[in-house]
Amino acid sequence: MDMDGNLEELMAGYQAGDFVAARSLIARLSPQLHRFFDAQSRNPADADDLLQEAWLRIHRARHTYRRERPLLPWIYAIARRVRVDHYRRQVRTANHEQRWEQLDVEVASALPDTPRADDLEALLAPLSESQREVLEMLKVAGMSLEEVARATSCSVGAVKQKVHRAYEKLRQTMSLPELKRSGGVP
Amino acid sequence: MRDEEIDAALGKAARVPREVPAELLNRIADAIEPTLQPVRTLPPTWVLAGGLVLSSAAVALLGAARAGFQGVEALSVPARLLIFGAITLLACTAAVQLVAEWIPGSSRRLSPGGLLALASVTLCGAFALLFHDYRIEHFVSAGLTCLATGLLHAAPAALLAWWWLRRGWVVNAVSAGLAAGVLGGLAGVTVLELHCTDFHALHVLVWHTLVVPTSGALGAFAGWAMRER
Repeated sequence: MDMDGNLEELMAGYQAGDFVAARSLIARLSPQLHRFFDAQSRNPADADDLLQEAWLRIHRARHTYRRERPLLPWIYAIARRVRVDHYRRQVRTANHEQRWEQLDVEVASALPDTPRADDLEALLAPLSESQREVLEMLKVAGMSLEEVARATSCSVGAVKQKVHRAYEKLRQTMSLPELKRSGGVP
Repeated sequence: MRDEEIDAALGKAARVPREVPAELLNRIADAIEPTLQPVRTLPPTWVLAGGLVLSSAAVALLGAARAGFQGVEALSVPARLLIFGAITLLACTAAVQLVAEWIPGSSRRLSPGGLLALASVTLCGAFALLFHDYRIEHFVSAGLTCLATGLLHAAPAALLAWWWLRRGWVVNAVSAGLAAGVLGGLAGVTVLELHCTDFHALHVLVWHTLVVPTSGALGAFAGWAMRER
């Protein structure tokens, strides 16, 4: 199996039991998945655990991927599930009767205090959970609107609306003089 | 600030490489290696959806065969075509939706809630067109009997659907349960249309249609319970 093959070919190899293809796929996709989990996490160390959990679930569900379809929506649909389950467990453990939306606000407000290796997370911090994940998929994973819609189980129209609202919010926050001075905006 | 400037800022930030420790990648690869074998992929959507429609039809026909086909015998040919044509189209839509719930990253033209609304509104519309006797006789007692009969057949149809798709991977158990419940509910409605001879408009509009949302709600609850387990 060619290590530089496209993702769909690597996934086909993985389904065929090719360890080199599986390893290559893990190496290719893990950075963006790690970033996906890190951007949503209150505790950066959780991203490592979530990444492992995501790959275990991908491994168990690998027979459900269809070769003629794009791989990233399939991967991100599972990754998204891992993240949701993680937070549900956290909330249950903490015995907080908080709604998911309230949790989003906490995550968003906690992010600026957390030291980061890059500033994408800081840029996306003011956004809601769903807006952030949509922009992560579009800008980091390079997925199309149709692919994001598949990954998030919603319509293309709903994705466009989230992007529109996210850009409105970013327009407000990125216009702040402190952010411009810090080089967050070209 | 223009959209292009926001695009550029996000693009610049997204290009900063993210390093994942090699040790972590090795740990992941080592964890999957022992169970890495060739897998048989799922059949095409039309095969899975076709199986769901056929299994639901089989449950409905068996149920009606046991209870009797008096209802369909009393219906006119146009009424039969309209009712069973609508149910067939809805069952196909529900089956495709249900398959999508079992395969991550599938495209969805309808949300599960939208499917439930579509099924309920379509059935109400078809019944309202065909039945115009608005007298009320034994509304609750006859209605509860029909609702119970419909649900009694919805449950095996939904369970059969769950079993048929057992090799899939449920992304959202609540949505999957709701879609399975709607499909089962349509099987339940089919039994009622084949068997029930009570053609009072309110009876059919309320109690026959109610099988679908009730079954959908029970399916969603079952999905929620499985997820929380």
